[in-house]
Amino acid sequence: MSQPSTMEAADRRFGWFMSAPGLALLLAVILFPVFWALFTSVHEFTLIAPNFDTFTGIENYAAALGDPAFRHSLGLTAFFVGAVVLIEFAIGFLVALMLNGVERFKPIYYGILLCPLLMNPVIVGLIWRMFLHPSLGIVNYLLTVAGFEPVNWLGSTKMAIWTIIMVDIWHQVSFMIVLLLAGLSSLPKEPYEAARVDGASVFQSFFFITLPLMMPVIIVTLLIRMIFAVKTYDLIYIMTRGGPGVATDLVSYAIYRTAFVSLNIGEASAMSAILLAVILIFTGYLYRYMRTLT
Amino acid sequence: MASITLDKITKTYPNDVTAVNGVSLDIRDGEFMIFLGPSGCGKSTTLRMIAGLEAISSGDLLIGGRRVNEVDPADRDIAIVFQNYALYPHMTVARNLAFGLRLRHVEASEIQSRITRVAALLGIEPLLSRKPSQLSGGQRQRVALGRALVREPQAFLLDEPLSNLDATLRASMRTELIKLHNSLGTTIVHVTHDQVEAMTMGERICIMRDGDIVQVGAPMEVYRNPADTFVASFLATPPMNLLPGRIESDGDGLAAVVETCRLPIPAAYREAYASHAGKPVIVGLRPEDFQAVAVGGGRTAPVALHTITTEVLGPEVILVANFASPGGPEVHIRMPRDFRAKTGETVTLHFDLPEIQVFDPGTTRVLARPFLP
Ligand SMILES: Nc1ncnc2c1ncn2[C@@H]1O[C@H](COP(=O)(O)OP(=O)(O)OP(=O)(O)O)[C@@H](O)[C@H]1O
Ligand SMILES: [Mg+2]
Repeated sequence: MSQPSTMEAADRRFGWFMSAPGLALLLAVILFPVFWALFTSVHEFTLIAPNFDTFTGIENYAAALGDPAFRHSLGLTAFFVGAVVLIEFAIGFLVALMLNGVERFKPIYYGILLCPLLMNPVIVGLIWRMFLHPSLGIVNYLLTVAGFEPVNWLGSTKMAIWTIIMVDIWHQVSFMIVLLLAGLSSLPKEPYEAARVDGASVFQSFFFITLPLMMPVIIVTLLIRMIFAVKTYDLIYIMTRGGPGVATDLVSYAIYRTAFVSLNIGEASAMSAILLAVILIFTGYLYRYMRTLT
Repeated sequence: MASITLDKITKTYPNDVTAVNGVSLDIRDGEFMIFLGPSGCGKSTTLRMIAGLEAISSGDLLIGGRRVNEVDPADRDIAIVFQNYALYPHMTVARNLAFGLRLRHVEASEIQSRITRVAALLGIEPLLSRKPSQLSGGQRQRVALGRALVREPQAFLLDEPLSNLDATLRASMRTELIKLHNSLGTTIVHVTHDQVEAMTMGERICIMRDGDIVQVGAPMEVYRNPADTFVASFLATPPMNLLPGRIESDGDGLAAVVETCRLPIPAAYREAYASHAGKPVIVGLRPEDFQAVAVGGGRTAPVALHTITTEVLGPEVILVANFASPGGPEVHIRMPRDFRAKTGETVTLHFDLPEIQVFDPGTTRVLARPFLP
């Protein structure tokens, strides 16, 4: 009995030893900045007076949460996340269901689907900014050719957030499709045959077999996508800079503005901490859920 | 209740494997039909075509006289027990059983009473609230059987439904299925590898090989009159001994000669075997047709057996021996439980001549002969 446990301990020591360099690097580039930001968030630290002389406690947090602009950003981000995740899920599931029945040219479909996903968000933003240019963009050109009014995609306060949502869907929907398709193709085939003999229609098979069996994959996919959507920044920076006005001022971009336009690093750090807390809640839930699966 | 008719049915899978090759078979209304055959001979494929899960490449399938080639499985009113169970992994046992009934809008109270009845029959009441992943293989198999039974369909298709049960449970399930068939009178097609199931359960056995039906008939008929050497060597354990020999003239009669042993052919068979006189044949001798004591009137013939070993099974003893001479072909002979013989010992036993079967070595088919009681 003691033999294996000493061996286990030796194994564990060896494991720590081997992963120590990697862990140290992670500590330096991730954990250190996180703690530095948390430390900053409780001080009055601006780029005009970059020092930790004044400890302010929760003042930065109170200021951030009391700021209507930040609360607007939080609400807007929640709306944005809800919209992109739900629409991407709906489209993604539909396409995945259709592709799941396809045998021929499967690699080609996969290739096409993965293209947008492989693109850098900055490139995606630039491409779409050109496509959607009010007078020079191809989208409005095609609309006028087809006899429609041109649309002010990024310049109208009503339209801009929906434009960002659409571009994000274009960019990220493949992520949903690919994950859901992987889930669908790993479902067992036999229950479907049993259901056919039991008298289930295609829809009944979907609701009584596919959906329940897919639930773990669906939840994990939704959570991961939510976590990423909350952090959306690049698209906003490239396409609208949060504008017009504050119409597309998502949290990440608001933090950037507070830090590098208003030069108020302390308050920006507090905002980041709030965002981090929200993401941590999602992640913690995701982690717990994944553990119940195994 | 329904009859099932297969008319020249062929199944070719997309990868050009012809799993079933022009099979014709009439399964009567209310019949208990056994499909028996080696692994990969197309039993499951045939069953799946009857269920409608596999498209029929050519030929006609009739259920209750109606052509159903294109009819959806749901509308054929048959229940199937899959070889791999195919339970719904996310539903409890009770919901697995109820699923088909709910889809068919059976009343809740009726569903409940059927589940209770079937669960009691199969001994799965304590499992009703579990998921399939929490069951053993044999328990899953019983749930799969239960899911078919609650449906009360026109016909049951059972693909090796007892294969994963222990010997005792298998024996009792066998009896339960027979009783069930007697009381319901539903058509049953039952696929099995098990000799005992094949012999005891079915009204008829359909023996398949390489996508063809080799022989169809009542168990005893197939056992006593195998159509060819394949059936002879497949049915019953130990199977029929198939020995290379000749048919020779023996005075005014015939004899089957194996090595140095002459087995006189009963007068009633002479006409049937006359055409093969002087030619090589395969002589088939069932292990159970040897006895220690000669019977008068030329009914038996003595055979010298050179013991290799004996297998004491309890109810009986299997004598493994060289036939006729120490270098002769190996035979298995079934003897009463008190039989003993030492290795190397020569035993003389008496073969019951009317039970002899003779096969053509070229076609492997039996030389048809009259049936002596
Ligand atoms: N989906 C399939 N695609 C291609 N070939 C198949 C498929 N299913 C079965 N086969 C082939 O068809 C033949 C018959 O298979 P089948 O499953 O009907 O055999 P079986 O008699 O049920 O065997 P077993 O007793 O092992 O269950 C086999 O050669 C098998 O390899
Ligand atoms: Mg099979």
